[in-house]
Amino acid sequence: MAETLILDSEAVHALAHAAERGVLAERARAILAVAHEKRALVRVPAPVLSEVCRGPRYDSAINHLLNARGIGVLDLTRSIAQRAGHLLARLKLSSAHAIDAFVVATSLQFDAAVIATGDPDDIQRLASPFRHVRVFAL
Amino acid sequence: MGQAAAKLSVSVPSELAAAVRRRVGARGLSGFVARAMAHELEREQLGAFLAELERDLGPVSKTELSKARRAWPKR
Repeated sequence: MAETLILDSEAVHALAHAAERGVLAERARAILAVAHEKRALVRVPAPVLSEVCRGPRYDSAINHLLNARGIGVLDLTRSIAQRAGHLLARLKLSSAHAIDAFVVATSLQFDAAVIATGDPDDIQRLASPFRHVRVFAL
Repeated sequence: MGQAAAKLSVSVPSELAAAVRRRVGARGLSGFVARAMAHELEREQLGAFLAELERDLGPVSKTELSKARRAWPKR
């Protein structure tokens, strides 16, 4: 599959609330612009939504971002979930890191992926064995 | 259940049509065209979103753009 930019929760927040997120939003916009230049897909793993959605009163900016802005949501499949479990087991991490593991496991489906994240240390640890996955720190 | 399908009639250069048929076969053509259309539509939408952000917030600095370009994998 194609090159893909994967957005974690901080990247989604930064783009959904860009006017309030200062340098984080600028970095998120920069990597989004490069994805556009490279004709890459832009995707949000569905589990990330559990970190950024907090009810109908708060979700309008997230819904706005995910509605016809060229950013798709990737559903969590059985194979991604199992792969995430294997990633956690390799590092002996608890399921407190499950969302990070879902993000990395989702990125492994693509020929090349860049993960835009506000949590580069944990994501980098999980992604370190995979040369086709890069981590971009916001 | 799959989504309802719409039939489209489009004209493309004959060499392009032949190359795509060689690649995916006649039966894979609809799926190939649908994926290409979805990708192009997303690209248009993403470009419009970036333009909207630039209008509202100003341009992204060259420094941040350079850092983002360096982070992208070389192919």
